[in-house]
Amino acid sequence: MSKELGLIGRRNYLLKRNPRLDELKISFKIFFSNPTAVAGLVITLLYFIDTFLVQFFPWAIGIHDPNQYIINPYNPVPTPPSPQHPLGTTYGGIDLLDAILKSIRVDVEYTLLIVLSGALIGLVLGLVSGFFGGIMDEILMRITDIFFSIPYLVLAIAIIFVLGRSLDIVALSLIIVWWPLYARYARGQTLSIKQMTFIEAAKAAGTRDFWIMFRHIIPNVLPPIFVQISLDLGVVVGVFSTLTFIGFSPTANIPELGYLTSLGLNFVSIAPWAVIIPGLVITIFALAVNLMGDGLRDVIDPRRRSV
Amino acid sequence: MKLWLYIVRRLLLIIPTLIGLTLITFILIHVQGNNLIIAEYLNPHLTGAARDYAIQQLYQRFHLNDPLYIQYMYWLIQVLNGDLGFTRTPIYSGPVTTALALFYPNTIMLAVISSILIWIIGIPIGVWSAVKRDSLFDQSMRVVTFTLYAMPPYLVYLLVLIVFAVYLSLFPISGAVNPLLLQGIDWYSNGISYPTHIVFIDALLHGNFAIALDSIWHFILPSIGLALGGVAGIIRLLRSSMLEVLDQDYIRMARSKGIREKYVINTHARRNALIPALTSFVYGFAGLLGGVVVTETIFNIPGVGYWTVQALLNNDAGGIMGSTLIFGIILVTASLILDLIYAAIDPRVRY
Repeated sequence: MSKELGLIGRRNYLLKRNPRLDELKISFKIFFSNPTAVAGLVITLLYFIDTFLVQFFPWAIGIHDPNQYIINPYNPVPTPPSPQHPLGTTYGGIDLLDAILKSIRVDVEYTLLIVLSGALIGLVLGLVSGFFGGIMDEILMRITDIFFSIPYLVLAIAIIFVLGRSLDIVALSLIIVWWPLYARYARGQTLSIKQMTFIEAAKAAGTRDFWIMFRHIIPNVLPPIFVQISLDLGVVVGVFSTLTFIGFSPTANIPELGYLTSLGLNFVSIAPWAVIIPGLVITIFALAVNLMGDGLRDVIDPRRRSV
Repeated sequence: MKLWLYIVRRLLLIIPTLIGLTLITFILIHVQGNNLIIAEYLNPHLTGAARDYAIQQLYQRFHLNDPLYIQYMYWLIQVLNGDLGFTRTPIYSGPVTTALALFYPNTIMLAVISSILIWIIGIPIGVWSAVKRDSLFDQSMRVVTFTLYAMPPYLVYLLVLIVFAVYLSLFPISGAVNPLLLQGIDWYSNGISYPTHIVFIDALLHGNFAIALDSIWHFILPSIGLALGGVAGIIRLLRSSMLEVLDQDYIRMARSKGIREKYVINTHARRNALIPALTSFVYGFAGLLGGVVVTETIFNIPGVGYWTVQALLNNDAGGIMGSTLIFGIILVTASLILDLIYAAIDPRVRY
């Protein structure tokens, strides 16, 4: 086995090929041969482009006030789609198309913030506790047990109640609720990689713990975490909008899709578009990141990579 | 390991979880210092010296000048004695314990009915998609579950509401039971039914089938919504675990013995495929209880979730604390029951 690997290395050296570049090419090939994954990527990019434009160049897509909805006091009742309002209006005479373009930015930004910080905290704690084990590992596992003993939405509501009702606090509460998941996941991955023979070999060769962690364990733990992040974006955007859906009174005026849905709640029987359209915008984003995540999972699957 | 030994060990493991649950609730209400406790117990109409005196009384009563861990001990004793404080929300004002007796039956009923629905809908679809792999049925189910999985929970409930209650008018739009039916009923007073506090069961016990039917009628739509929100995960998991099981040697063995396909799937494969689905259901239950909060708000069902949202919107510490505790206890109990079922059907977990 080792002799074969040596030969491959020598062949790469003689042919002046970079194996990492080859692996990257294979990754791209696997990802782009999957049409649904590419569709997911494209839709996700569209959402990101909208976020970017509204954040930095709102005038480019005709948005005047990106931080709040424009309320029309003369006609506060929802109206169906018309040439003037392509997606109709919701409570307060708010134009849905304009409102959705604004809201996507807030949802995407906060979702990215929640998932990335949750993943970072969980990854660090899970890696360290999985790698070193012992009393710290035990304490971390008991803490995550406690977090899992309360339904996460209820815990998030309690945290929001204590710290105050604002979008920042909603995001903070979700980070607090979400990191244990990543800690468990990263710990599990670390434990299973720690058992593998190549770690044993590295130890036998006298490699220091620190080096094993950074050179051998982290590169193997990260890819599945990235897939998890991609899949989680779809879940977190739903949970985040659920919290804003139930947690704010109709006078709050924040550009967020869950809140936008809640504005139409009292008009469900006469104006169903006011709740369905903002909800569908979230659904499409969640679908897209899920498809992208499935594609990424295929990329890191060793069974798909075998030549 | 013997089954009873496992049960004892599992029961003992609840203790640290419950301590953690109470600790987290306690920390939550003390993060802001003493403000929340004083706001919860202080009579809002007091002013001047009377107010100062009342605050002083509260400091003595709850030992607010002591270190936090001593306060926690006193608070725990208070909770164990059944005193959870007061709640002031538009839907109920009074002791938290009475509020719980009022609200938790509806929540339990929702959770139980939708769990049953999840299994009834999920098992056949998951198994059938695996058996007829890549057929039209499997493909369309994949699209449906993917979409359901991606929808934010409130959208699923709202779509169910719009389709079945608004357009088809098959079910009532909101409420837990028609209040007109309950007028003058002697086993129902002040919003609490006796003896079990669950209207459906109490009505059956007293032989009042009209009320029982009406109660279950109100719960069908929210339960369908909840079940649709939670069923996608189960179907996907069951399909993949069923595919894995169907690939095993003992299935090939059973087939080569000439056992009919119906028995191979129903007796040999399905039972084994259900085991991983059961574990994921334990985690799914947390999501289900979170969904209860949203469904109850949308369908106006006076349950713990509706109360939680009301408490959040009305700055009510007692409601938040009581609902966090009761949701935690429901979840811990549910995972205990599922773990015990798990141990009973799968001998491999008992070590």
